[in-house]
Amino acid sequence: MTITIDTFTCVWCGLTVHAHAAGGQRRNHCPSCLHSRHVHDHVEGGPSDCGARMTPISIAVLRTGDWMIVHRCVRCDELTSSPVAEDDNRLILMRMAVRPLAQPPFPLEAFGDL
Amino acid sequence: MARRTRTDDRRRAQRRKDVLHGRGSGHREQDFRCAGCRLVVPLAAPGTAHRNHCPTCLESLHVDGRVPGDRAAACRGRMVPLSVSVRPDGEWLLVHECRSCGELSANRIAGDDNALALMRLALRPLRDPGVPGVAHGALLAL
Repeated sequence: MTITIDTFTCVWCGLTVHAHAAGGQRRNHCPSCLHSRHVHDHVEGGPSDCGARMTPISIAVLRTGDWMIVHRCVRCDELTSSPVAEDDNRLILMRMAVRPLAQPPFPLEAFGDL
Repeated sequence: MARRTRTDDRRRAQRRKDVLHGRGSGHREQDFRCAGCRLVVPLAAPGTAHRNHCPTCLESLHVDGRVPGDRAAACRGRMVPLSVSVRPDGEWLLVHECRSCGELSANRIAGDDNALALMRLALRPLRDPGVPGVAHGALLAL
């Protein structure tokens, strides 16, 4: 009997990650640095021939309240979104969520009157 | 009960469109009508060369493929604003998701975009922490 351990190595931080998260669903990004790889073509479906690294760019919130991570491929600029796993790095998640508020493009004083 | 204005079941054939939208014609050359709030929006926007979303409700239409302005997408679905992303130089990007096919696209915000709508979008992850304890746990860990 052979035991197969399903792992992948993160292309950004080099961490060896188990391919299944704690909830049983399959991971598609590293839980430590949240980077991913462009292996799935979301437009046509099926495997993608890009294979480049995908950086997390923002946090999206579904109507159900679940968080999604929006990834962007560094090579072909494709955007994908994937659900947040339970053991994802919360510091990086929170940093991405508050990132727009650090440098707002308009003054925030006007919102105090609302 | 809904009122029926037409008593017979014969349906009138669609009127032939003789006004060409887009370049070359005077009508709808310098503006577009928003798919979300139906406001007429001028194409000229401060701070960006090509506007692709309504400055009031931030909704867009899925007409372009990978290159902005190429009109390569056959979807024509409504694209709703999904999240706000920030470039390394501090510029805000608006990530849209197509309600029809699920495609995502990113576009720089314009100078006249609705600040309240943008701020509501940026604050959405902090307002309702979806994954139980992710936001609160992250805040407590800091």
